[in-house]
Amino acid sequence: MSHALATAGLFALAGAVFLLPLIPAIVELRLKRDAQALNVIQQYAGDIRHFSFGFRSYAAELLTPLQQCVDSGRTATGMLPHGDRFLLLGRPEPALLLPGGSSEKVCDLVVAAGTDLTLPDGMTFMKEMYASRELIGGANCTYRAILGDGNVRLDCASAVTRWVHAAGTFQAEQDCDLYGRISSDREIMLRDGCFFQRLHAPRIVFGRTDTAAEAQGRGPSDHFGGPGATSVAASRRLVDGDLEIGRGEVVTGSIVSRGQLHIGAGARILGSVKSNRRMTLESGVSIAGSVVSASAMQIGFNCRIAGPVIAEQGIAIGSGTRCGTPERPTTVSAPTIEVEDGAVVFGTIWARQEGRVVPRQ
Amino acid sequence: MIYCLFAIVTIISIYTARHYWFTLNRLFGFQRHPYIDTDTADWPQVTILVAAHNEEKVVSHILSALMGVNYPQDKMLVVPVNDRSTDRTREIIDRFCEQHPGRIRPFHRTDGKGGKAAALKDAMELVDTEVILIFDADYIPGTGLIKQLVAPFFDPEVGGVMGRVVPLNVGTNLLTRLLDLERSGGYQVDQQARMNLRLVPQHGGTVAGVRLSALREIGGWNDNSLTEDTDLTYRLLLAGWKTVYQNRSECYEEVPETWQVRVKQIMRWAKGHNQALANYGLHLLFGKHRATFRERIDGFLLLGVYIMAPVTLLGWILALAVFYAGVAPLHGVIALLSITAYSAVGNFAAFFEIAAAARLDYTRQRICLLPFLILGFGVSIFSVSRAFVSQLMAPLTGAQFHWDKTERFRTTP
Repeated sequence: MSHALATAGLFALAGAVFLLPLIPAIVELRLKRDAQALNVIQQYAGDIRHFSFGFRSYAAELLTPLQQCVDSGRTATGMLPHGDRFLLLGRPEPALLLPGGSSEKVCDLVVAAGTDLTLPDGMTFMKEMYASRELIGGANCTYRAILGDGNVRLDCASAVTRWVHAAGTFQAEQDCDLYGRISSDREIMLRDGCFFQRLHAPRIVFGRTDTAAEAQGRGPSDHFGGPGATSVAASRRLVDGDLEIGRGEVVTGSIVSRGQLHIGAGARILGSVKSNRRMTLESGVSIAGSVVSASAMQIGFNCRIAGPVIAEQGIAIGSGTRCGTPERPTTVSAPTIEVEDGAVVFGTIWARQEGRVVPRQ
Repeated sequence: MIYCLFAIVTIISIYTARHYWFTLNRLFGFQRHPYIDTDTADWPQVTILVAAHNEEKVVSHILSALMGVNYPQDKMLVVPVNDRSTDRTREIIDRFCEQHPGRIRPFHRTDGKGGKAAALKDAMELVDTEVILIFDADYIPGTGLIKQLVAPFFDPEVGGVMGRVVPLNVGTNLLTRLLDLERSGGYQVDQQARMNLRLVPQHGGTVAGVRLSALREIGGWNDNSLTEDTDLTYRLLLAGWKTVYQNRSECYEEVPETWQVRVKQIMRWAKGHNQALANYGLHLLFGKHRATFRERIDGFLLLGVYIMAPVTLLGWILALAVFYAGVAPLHGVIALLSITAYSAVGNFAAFFEIAAAARLDYTRQRICLLPFLILGFGVSIFSVSRAFVSQLMAPLTGAQFHWDKTERFRTTP
């Protein structure tokens, strides 16, 4: 082999090695198989009712036949265009009877009820459920999703795997597992032992309904200024280490602690608070703005917080505490949230990993 | 010469390690998105500044998008900052004002100092809200973006907020596809990793927000800076304010479609960044201020990213010189180490970052274009080095402050 040929061969080989990784690149450049802008803009903006809206439009064609069933007092079955079978209930059922008198505990139909509906214990509903009136679930039932135009009440130890939206009140008895999104246009009530992730309603009550504190005239609105007055306060005090606010102290403006933050019982903060380490609010603390911790947060009994409550690790909320007000709903969010019986949140509570209702200590 | 080369290799190795650290954090570490779940609140009043200089091709798109967001209408004021436009920008803005009375208050600027920072500085006379959001005119915000960008301001430690920039005109040509990959790496991995690790996420000056009291505390917009966003990031940091990055607050933008425009853009960024390095670098590292130790280190490294281009070029020259000078006794090994350290491994770290970003975005085919990034890298290294040299020469040549506006390419009405 001549030197020239060997040199040419070497260059050709080197060129081939260089070009090899470019082949898929050139193919992609020419074919443009993945040349669209990333589909990352969430136009629905994370609305908690997104799936219930979707189901409502999906099931819209059931409404007319459902009304006919109600008028004639009968039950009907059929199939939706996408292939899902449905069951329409047009008369009050003491307990749901599946078509053909089946006694199986698993229902794989989309169920739509035009009247009040009471479900038997131990059922599993594999598909979505729509109730135009009140829905009362049995104990130990499992639901994929429920859209209720009236009140929805789930009995003990039931589970929801995706979402519930109730136009009326939503109530879950003890030890229910509520995965995904639970929303109500009126009120959500969760009893002890309930697991939750994302809840939204004008008023969310944990444990027993405790109206005593509000009846005393110390309603949450009394502690703070008008709407928007202090939600994003302008002045702040920055402390590089730990900080302790004494019992009953009144602080004007926001506080940022680079260490731990301890706020004594009955203190009032006319601004927002932030700690980069653990935050503790003793009982009766009121905060006119937001409460943020880059770590964990312990909120004592009967505290009043007007703004968002955000912790990067976990939040424990004591009995009698109110977050937000009816006029100024807010968000409580953390990976894990533990709420004692008797606490109330106005707005949204969002536990990315696990939320739990626990008995009063 | 050999010690200089050793120093360069060491610096590049630090940046390489930093790239890998960020990437591995994004792939396997704990992800911080503390404010993104705030969807219900007593939302504060907000002013949205839209910087517009000869933006007739795009300004109507952002104004339409802003009129459709889900932020309470009575708490949001849009202020298009029409900076000495000579095209139809003013006419378009005024038409929107008529169509949406009370929701848009234009700021028409007909003279004064050039540049975005100077325009924003003048427009502050219309701002009386504690929260200010800033967009460039080519951006198209989604429905929920304003709430997402405002939410971090409920944290009293937050002075600035930055969202994620996502190119819209990806498929136009090779350049736009490369810039799409670069943006993915820069935001999806780099910015979010800095957020995760409590380092220094950078304020980008668009899809971004700033707290009015923080801005006033640090002296307002710096109209002498070519990159007011970088300048703002460091002044906030030194004053003890956090800038936070929200990776899930995405907004479409238009990226340059010609290499000429891209070169101008990156040269401006390089000069502005180097300006900030000169102004704040040493003070950030050694000064008495409120930044934490890790913020000092990361902030300094971030300031140095555009210096790395001329440093790498110098390293290449030195490596060749050392090789041919036959510096004993390890010249071959040193040359090998040097070349691989900053021309192969170093670059691969950035490529690794971009590949990880593509994976995190669940895209499949665009990753094939990765080898072409060497083109973008080549153009950038020489453009940024040129910018650096021109900055060094400025005192001799008498070059004045000059702002190059990025040209727009959108043609749809």
